[in-house]
Amino acid sequence: MTTISSKIKYKNTMGLAAMQGRGFYYPMDLAFDSSEKIYVLGRGHDGDPRGCRIVVMDMNEEYYGTFGSFGNENGQFIWPSCIAVNSKDNLFISDEATNKITVMSKEGNYISSFGEFGSGNGQFDGPNGLAFDHDDNLYVVDHRNGRVQVFDEDGKFIRKFGKPGDLSGELNLPWGITIDSKNNLYIADWGNHRIQEFSNDGDFIKSIGSYGKKDTDLIHPSDVAVDLKGNVFVTDWGNHRFKAFNQNGDLIYSTRGEATLSKWAHDFLNTNIEEKEARSKSKLVFELPGFDKDPHEESSHVEKYFWSPTSITFYKGEIIIVDSNRHRLPVYLVS
Amino acid sequence: MSNADVLLMAHLMRRAGFGANKGELDKLVKNGYDKTVDYMLDNDPNIPVSEYMIRRYQPDYGASLGSTTNGANWMYRMIWSDFPLREKVALFWHGIFATGYAKLANGKVLHDQIKMLLKHGLGNYQNLLVELSRDPAMIIWLDNCESHKGAINENYGRELLELFSMGTGNYTEEDIKEASRAFTGWTIANSDYMTLKCQRDSVWPYGRLSMHFEYNPDDHDEEEKTFLGETGNFNGEDIIKIICEQKATAKFISRHLYSFFVADEPPVPEWPYKEPNDPEAIEMLSKVYFDSGYNIKEMLRFLFKSDFFKSEDVWNKRVKSPVELVAGTLRLTKEFNRPSRDQYFTTLNAQYMGQWMMSPPSVEGWHWGTEWLDSGTLVERVNFSSSSLGNKDNIGVKEIINNIKSSLDSPIDSEKLVDASLEQLGALSTSENTRSILIDYADSNLDSSEEINDEEIAELLKFVGAMPEYQRS
Repeated sequence: MTTISSKIKYKNTMGLAAMQGRGFYYPMDLAFDSSEKIYVLGRGHDGDPRGCRIVVMDMNEEYYGTFGSFGNENGQFIWPSCIAVNSKDNLFISDEATNKITVMSKEGNYISSFGEFGSGNGQFDGPNGLAFDHDDNLYVVDHRNGRVQVFDEDGKFIRKFGKPGDLSGELNLPWGITIDSKNNLYIADWGNHRIQEFSNDGDFIKSIGSYGKKDTDLIHPSDVAVDLKGNVFVTDWGNHRFKAFNQNGDLIYSTRGEATLSKWAHDFLNTNIEEKEARSKSKLVFELPGFDKDPHEESSHVEKYFWSPTSITFYKGEIIIVDSNRHRLPVYLVS
Repeated sequence: MSNADVLLMAHLMRRAGFGANKGELDKLVKNGYDKTVDYMLDNDPNIPVSEYMIRRYQPDYGASLGSTTNGANWMYRMIWSDFPLREKVALFWHGIFATGYAKLANGKVLHDQIKMLLKHGLGNYQNLLVELSRDPAMIIWLDNCESHKGAINENYGRELLELFSMGTGNYTEEDIKEASRAFTGWTIANSDYMTLKCQRDSVWPYGRLSMHFEYNPDDHDEEEKTFLGETGNFNGEDIIKIICEQKATAKFISRHLYSFFVADEPPVPEWPYKEPNDPEAIEMLSKVYFDSGYNIKEMLRFLFKSDFFKSEDVWNKRVKSPVELVAGTLRLTKEFNRPSRDQYFTTLNAQYMGQWMMSPPSVEGWHWGTEWLDSGTLVERVNFSSSSLGNKDNIGVKEIINNIKSSLDSPIDSEKLVDASLEQLGALSTSENTRSILIDYADSNLDSSEEINDEEIAELLKFVGAMPEYQRS
């Protein structure tokens, strides 16, 4: 682990693996509504789609229920990818299998959907990251088409930018997106191992990172968040790390992860004493015996490490990360 | 390029891989048979779609909460690898070193075992047995984590000798006990917690944890042991060294290789009482085993270049295992040129046909040969291959249809259409009876006055998928 900035500190972890009910099963993304409720979007897996749901909770790990399910009907999902909430507290969910954006109320009622497979305006080939600008326009990362499409709140196409490629301003299977206080866009350019910043009109501004395993490098970043100072927070999905860069693109923080037991995890262990005791006698952090220095393998062995983090959100001085393969949400404080 | 060369190459690719289409066969024949064998053995395969890509869309293919996604991940490699010999060899070992989900309830450690077999399966057999003995899935599967100094559990020692190296009749009960003593202390880290999680199929609190080997010297029996007539303070590596020096081991492994890659042998439990079908071939393979220093790659090089492998007597005689049938069909149809949710269900198809990857029915693995076939599994096999080959929207099927159309002159002759279809599907050989049935079918379904359309060819391909010859390797 490398820590450069003392202004970023691990705080706690939320969540628990659970096929249904209170907990997550391959969570992919999260979003806050105006009442500070968190909507955690789960994917499940091909052999067990029960995890395909939205879990509602808050930062105190208070659980409010779930809605949404696997399927092809309205309000259902196949491969849900990302979630965003607009100023009216409606939820927008992208599904990269059905190529649709579904709109739901915060109570979980289906409102509408838009999108279909294709490369024309309003069509998608794998919609992923979602973000709203200050005018409530929705930005959709259309990842296999290598572009971003912009829609009004009714799902009407407004404009698009970007094209597939690896030059500045081009995109290779992009994933997450965020919009900063100046309405500039930051996109996790997954296939090009970098974060790209664009103006609201889609003009390229700058790029952070390139392929590699060093702290300053990135491998397949999945998502990006930005604070009011312009610091850029990245889930370095392929290196299984959380990293932060200042507005000049200099690394200020990098961690392999230090997750601890959440409230829900404590609840589980306190009702499963045999597992709790066996766990307490175990050495869960150890010298890593090889694994060809593959961080994916290392993370599969060491529970506290990030394992395929898919989403990062900056919210009121805190960073919340969706640690997908570990079905939890580590939280960091940013001062 | 003679037809005999193409047919021989098709045989090689069915056995050393999962088959090849006409275009692939034509290229390989130009390179030559021996060069193709050497290339497959001496080079790492190219797999165009990365693990990163798979994990992005199907995270469980890397983290394995489920019981089947690990197999589905492996299936991707089988259908995407340019030369899937390593996958075939890993499948071979997986059938012998049978380790399954029923007891482990952790798909990740099973997937890790397959990765170990991919890495070491073509190497030195002594080294492979050491890696197997250190493999966490095997340690739990055969209870070596429960085998302690002064209180041995014989499961691993017994199966190491009976199923993994020498076969029954070549050692004593005392040898099993002594081998088990030598493997005390060979365990996994946090074994109590890990085995408890396996027993409970627990994914809590934060998903599966991978496991790794740990040697506990305090729990290792340091006393003198006598094994297969040799005496010393043996540890596990010493036992494996002695095992690998045995003629019985050479014969046992040679017979397994022959049975998997050349022609069906009787079931393994009958081996002590029944001589090999081709004793001379087993003798030659055993010699290569010793001459090469127990090198599996060199044994296979010899096998693939041997007359007994090239003999037409062994072509198309083996029933494809469900995994071979599914992987081979998907390589032809190219349905999955990128990660897809539907790919998961093709792995389930193999399960419905009787082969649940990484979950063999017992420590003996699967019974191969005609035992793959019963009234239920045969229907599954025919339905799967027919529906995949008959779907003209599949990229590979489209290519096959276009190749067939471009190779035929109008008006369409049914015989030529059938022959072109069999050729495109990988120089598929059929009996005269099957061929005449296909020609009759084409005669009755084609309108020779019209230009042949894609649907008509797809229907014929669907019919070929139901033929007995397509189900064989």
